[in-house]
Amino acid sequence: MLFFSRSKIFMIFGAVFLGLLLAIPNVLSEEQRENMPGAFSRSINLGLDLQGGAHMLLEVDLSSILSQALVNERTGINDAFRRADDRPRTEFVRVDGNSILARMRSKEDADKALPLLQGLSQPIDPSQFGSSNTTKVSRESDRNLRVMITDENIEFIRKQTIEKSIGVLRRRIDPNGNLELTLAPEGDKRILLQVPGAQNIDDIKDRINKSANLSFHLVNEKDSTNEQAMSVAYETGRVAAGDTYFPFAEASGRRGGLIVTERTRITGDCLKNSSAGPHPESSGAIVNFSFNVACATEFGRMTARNINKRFAVVLDKEIVTAPNIRSAITGGSGYIEGGFTMESARDLSLLLNAGALPAKLTIVEERTVDPSLGADSIRAGKVASGIGLLGVAIFMWLSYGLRFGTIANLALSTNIILIAAALSLFGSTLTLPGIAGIILTIGMAVDANVLIFERIREETYNGKTPINAIETGYKLSMAPILDANITTMIAAITLYFVGSGPVRGFAVTLAIGIVMSVFTAVIFARLLTATWLRGKRPKTLPI
Amino acid sequence: MKDISLVRILPQEPRVPFIKLRVIAAILSVIAVIASAVLFSTKGLNYGIDFTGGTVIEIGSVTQELDDAEIRSALKEMGYASATVQGIQPPEGSKTKEGVPIENRLIRIGLQLQDESGEEGQGAQQAALIKVKTELTTRIGDYFVRNTEVVGSQVSGELRKKGLMSVGLALFFVLAYIWFRFEWQFGMGAVLALAHDVVLTIGVFSLTGIEFNLTIIAAILTIVGYSLNDTVIVYDRIRENLRKFKRKPLGEVLNISINDTLSRTILTSVTTLLALVALYVLGGSALKGFSFAMIWGVFVGTYSSIFVASPLLMALKLKRGANTGGERADA
Repeated sequence: MLFFSRSKIFMIFGAVFLGLLLAIPNVLSEEQRENMPGAFSRSINLGLDLQGGAHMLLEVDLSSILSQALVNERTGINDAFRRADDRPRTEFVRVDGNSILARMRSKEDADKALPLLQGLSQPIDPSQFGSSNTTKVSRESDRNLRVMITDENIEFIRKQTIEKSIGVLRRRIDPNGNLELTLAPEGDKRILLQVPGAQNIDDIKDRINKSANLSFHLVNEKDSTNEQAMSVAYETGRVAAGDTYFPFAEASGRRGGLIVTERTRITGDCLKNSSAGPHPESSGAIVNFSFNVACATEFGRMTARNINKRFAVVLDKEIVTAPNIRSAITGGSGYIEGGFTMESARDLSLLLNAGALPAKLTIVEERTVDPSLGADSIRAGKVASGIGLLGVAIFMWLSYGLRFGTIANLALSTNIILIAAALSLFGSTLTLPGIAGIILTIGMAVDANVLIFERIREETYNGKTPINAIETGYKLSMAPILDANITTMIAAITLYFVGSGPVRGFAVTLAIGIVMSVFTAVIFARLLTATWLRGKRPKTLPI
Repeated sequence: MKDISLVRILPQEPRVPFIKLRVIAAILSVIAVIASAVLFSTKGLNYGIDFTGGTVIEIGSVTQELDDAEIRSALKEMGYASATVQGIQPPEGSKTKEGVPIENRLIRIGLQLQDESGEEGQGAQQAALIKVKTELTTRIGDYFVRNTEVVGSQVSGELRKKGLMSVGLALFFVLAYIWFRFEWQFGMGAVLALAHDVVLTIGVFSLTGIEFNLTIIAAILTIVGYSLNDTVIVYDRIRENLRKFKRKPLGEVLNISINDTLSRTILTSVTTLLALVALYVLGGSALKGFSFAMIWGVFVGTYSSIFVASPLLMALKLKRGANTGGERADA
């Protein structure tokens, strides 16, 4: 146990020295750090609870996306039937739970409809061989056909929705890309958003809460000017088939709402660009926009056919403005006015440029910490670890005397340095519970040395020679040390996999602390003891 | 023998009759466990928002002093009659920019099931947060927010489930490991001792009404780790001594083993307590519950390895002769 080969000694001191180098950046200023090479410039990553910032868990409303997918599918089915040369006659096509039910007039109609429906089912990802289809068609009876969205497609839609939401959020919250945001999927339907540092959280929340769904709809002038139809629409939301009712937005300065056609091809996806600008006539502001080519053509066609009617600009289910079409708008650009101030116009154009969120997001968890609180926590953590360290060191000297006390304390300080080194190297995040973990490690790290020293004492007491006592002491302590540390490790690993956020940070420091304390107490301290023994060859042990 | 240790804290061969005390210890432990269970089922725990859902805001004054009564009545008028306001202890030595000691308040608002327009769902917490923040400005003037935590009902449910699961899983894995390394009686004894520690910790949290949150779950798992550390070391010595003293009765071997490891048990407890007390005194409100749980855990864990885990081996009728299960790890 006490013999170390030259290469082993070299490796042990090498590891400790490397640890020291890796830990050094944590005590340097940022400027000094930048001059260090690669891995040696890294310092410990501080969690949001220590550096300040916002942590949010956003839940994506997937059910609305799926019901929208069903509605789109139904529209597609109706279109396919209408366009068919030999048109199948339907009794109804409707969304029925999680699928679409098409009841045909007769068995022959169903025979005709079946291949049409099957033709609508496309591979989800055409570029991938063997990709599943979007829908599954089944014939339930002579006249009933059922179209189901496949599980693979639901999964595809889910992933796409999350991915798109993350992209939109990034462009909205951090348009210039300098905030060091964390945006990542979490579980099936959630997105983790972390914004470090002092930020205006309320602004960020505003940008999350707006879905910025923009669309242009033709106004149903007949119903919108009919008082009875309007009051029914306002009170019950009931309108003629294919129409829908939207209220005016508050900022537009108008009351009530309008009945408009439900379907539209001109949506936020059409936007090529938008920007805020001053209103050409009044003191307010406007949002300029330009469409992409396809939508510009479509918009031109729509306006040419509906001169002297109105179209409603709808943002998040509220009408911003509803101007009269005086002539066909073919240029593919225009502006929206709706009682904007320069600031609200700028906000809107930022949202429009970032794109619409595919689904509504709800903040289901929020933890926001002011940087000043984080700084206080770090300082208190430093003081507490310093005092804890000092207390333990003095206690070890008192218990084991100068020689062995020093060895234990050297092992302890090496342990702290190695923990800092490992945290910096792996880029793990240090949280407030993580600091607690380190302080706890300070207390528990000496345990292995205590075990060994107690054993050595015992063996000396039983009359063994120093070398023999130390040899046996280390040998017999090995099993309990390993057992004890492996069981603690089991708790730490469980904590890591089941815990979340800051608790995970605690598990990481605890686990690193366990590994490092075994190394420093069992290997490093043993080397120190062996070196001292070889140099002094003492007759009795000062323990 | 030349001995330069300044203090010889413990006698080299202590002979405390621990095993003789086992009946008293058993009565004590059973009473404590029953008391904890009764407290838990009647008084319950003061769950933090991690587990109940709701909103916590820490606010600090900017110009004027914060008036608790004023904040309370403002919250009541907003319709949050059950909201609480309390002063908090910031981390040691915290000062504002002006150099005045921080005197912040913690506002807690319970879980909101629906927002003002009666819409149910996850958005209700955020709606309440916005309402409180804006209306508080008109009532108490300028203030700043140092910390905000909002947890929705769904998330809190998941956290509760995860918390329970993590403690359960940890106990299970530990049982499996000890079973593998020792005889089954050791595994059983260790896990019963751990369950004893966990129950007593929950009991003391119920008794004191200290907030029970996610970090306390972390603390409980660390207690599990720490107590196990202690138990495994005593067990290891028991196994060794069972081989050494083949003819001595089990009770005597247990007692010798506990005494053999006693100085180590006490030394490690003291060093761990030193670090934890520093954390408790200086760490501020956020770490107070955690370090309290750990300090308690060190006492309970040490007690249970001596008075619960070891005597349990007698109660579980550990067989002599078949006590060499598992191989020794000699590194």
